Amino acid sequence: MKKKALALLLGLCMITITACGNTAGQTSGDAPAQETQGAATEAESAGDGAEADAPAAGSAVAGVVWYNFADTFISNARQTLLNIGAADGTITITDADSTNDVSTQTSNMNNFFTQGVDYLVLNNINTGAISEICDQIQAEGCYGIFANTDTPSDEDFAKNDKLYSVSSVATQSGTIMGEALAEYWQAHPEADRNGNGKLDYVMLLGIQGHYDTTVRSQYSVQALEDAGIEVNNIGGEIICDYSRATAQEKVAALLANYSDDIDAVIACNDDMALGAIEALKAGGFFTGDDTYLPVCGVDATVNGCQAIKDGTMLVTALNNPVMLAKSIYKVMYLTNSGQEVTTESMGMEGVSVEGHRVWLDYSPVTIDNVDQATYDINDTAF
Amino acid sequence: MQKKTFRPKDFMMNYALYLIMLLIVIIIACISPKFISLRVIRDILTQSSTKMLVALGCMFIIVSGSADLSGGRVVGLAAVVSGSLAQQAAYANKFWPNMGELPVIVPILASVLVGLLVGACNGYAVAKLKVPAFLATLGMQMIAYGVNCLYFNKAPNNSQPLGGYKESFGNLGTGSLAGIPILVMIALALCAVVWIIQTRTCLGREIFAVGGNPNAARVSGINVFKILMITYMIAGALYGFAGCLEAARTGSATSSYGLSYELDAIASCIVGGCSASGGIGSVPGVIAGVLIFNVINYGLTFIGLSSYWQFVVKGLIIIIAVAIDVRKYAAKN
Repeated sequence: MKKKALALLLGLCMITITACGNTAGQTSGDAPAQETQGAATEAESAGDGAEADAPAAGSAVAGVVWYNFADTFISNARQTLLNIGAADGTITITDADSTNDVSTQTSNMNNFFTQGVDYLVLNNINTGAISEICDQIQAEGCYGIFANTDTPSDEDFAKNDKLYSVSSVATQSGTIMGEALAEYWQAHPEADRNGNGKLDYVMLLGIQGHYDTTVRSQYSVQALEDAGIEVNNIGGEIICDYSRATAQEKVAALLANYSDDIDAVIACNDDMALGAIEALKAGGFFTGDDTYLPVCGVDATVNGCQAIKDGTMLVTALNNPVMLAKSIYKVMYLTNSGQEVTTESMGMEGVSVEGHRVWLDYSPVTIDNVDQATYDINDTAF
Repeated sequence: MQKKTFRPKDFMMNYALYLIMLLIVIIIACISPKFISLRVIRDILTQSSTKMLVALGCMFIIVSGSADLSGGRVVGLAAVVSGSLAQQAAYANKFWPNMGELPVIVPILASVLVGLLVGACNGYAVAKLKVPAFLATLGMQMIAYGVNCLYFNKAPNNSQPLGGYKESFGNLGTGSLAGIPILVMIALALCAVVWIIQTRTCLGREIFAVGGNPNAARVSGINVFKILMITYMIAGALYGFAGCLEAARTGSATSSYGLSYELDAIASCIVGGCSASGGIGSVPGVIAGVLIFNVINYGLTFIGLSSYWQFVVKGLIIIIAVAIDVRKYAAKN
């Protein structure tokens, strides 16, 4: 009897979790959609004159599956896309949250397929099943856009003409950190704090196996080695789940042991870099010129840019969420009106097109250009 | 009353947790002697502080024979709420752009209030609506997270990590008095308060009674509803305050703060000798439970052991510690 009750309880639990997951995705998708339609009527009259040269096109519905609304970058891209959709009115945007869970992503996708969307925009985390997802999109007959994730293979693109990918060149984020660090190292001989001739670095990783984590850690070190610098890793694989609090704790522990050896901290995002900086401050760093330690991050968040201004963070790489959202929308807008997607027709700085792959450049942010490293999620021009 | 003779086996059983902790410290110190230093002790105590508050809250719940899965997300919600009220007037990306600087007590009280509110909802759902505690608090966990995301996403913040705290607020988490971190003092003070409540007041004994046997407690005139409400509210207040300190300690806050803190807290309580079926648990045990996890976390990173191995070691400790603990009670029976 007890066992049965327990099984029932567990079953109930699972149902609750799944149900809640789905509803969360749905309601958050529905609400903006309503806003979109409300705003669309206003925007149409204004847009008509400006877009006179574009071929007339019917409206379309896009279902956007983001991997995690709680992610700062995603939340910015998501809000921008909703704003653009509301201001332009051609494409109605509805979106859903995968809450960083592959199975929720699958439910969200199926949900949109059932709704019969014209575009499925997928910020895919099921990177092992890209081909299968492409096949599914083809079977549904809608457009598929892979956003800010691993792009599908050439074979997948060859099979389906309605398949696109819009993504930043993820490897650049690692290279930017590595190059900035190499430059600093070569200009500051005193940066070799223990004088062993090697750059002793701590690598703060996000989530194990996460694509960004892998390329950022790999290519940053690669860039250092390419610059002819001998490197030495301290602390091994330090998994901090992109969390500031965890990074702060791990770096504090490493500092207690390797305070005189660590030459640099490379973090796979700004939040972890900022956590490292907090720990370094507590460990006596950043109190004067001779206690500087280079810390690198990625994302150029508001707090990250502030740290660059404060002189605590060396470099961060800007992956512009507004550019991502604009590019996604532009691809939908162009295909919806029967135009071709090319570097010229996209017409945005830092955006290049290779076949059906749209690449977005990362840009390095340092003390020299931090004032220009801004984006406005309310910017709806595309 | 049996004559007390020293039996090594009993001693090892009774103090297994402390012996395991000592063993870990000795092993780490052998690998890297720098581990035995004031700085390390201070770091470990500081890192344990916020988790200690969550675990203390959790202990009340477990002792009362209940369960609470909402802790981590309440920490997150309270961190964002207190962070949003603790920003400098001059900070460029203020959460409330038109609000002036508030005294540091406001974010603290707000976070505690948030915790109390969630705790009251938990208590009501469990004690009045008779929803199984496991499910009621799972529901509250989701609600707290959802509300947190909604608040955090409010324009003009739009889910940007909070920052630019007032110095007085930041000091709560990073400052120290006479070399002792303020965080550690707060945690110690609260440990003392909780210990007094638990062992020296009627309320404390009534919570034990409810956890040990709710029917017997009811028959003997204890208002079980009231006790459960109070238990959940005390726990909520502790989670809330922990969230506030977490924001101060890290100098930031996002909606992802506090993720799975409740599981760490439950593990710390059980490893620290609380009985999962209620009625048993002590503050010193919970302190040891929290410390052992933080010693492992800190120590293994300290010697540069990969994060992957840390999970394996942590898992082993949980199982070994509880296995020994179960034997202790089995032997008594």
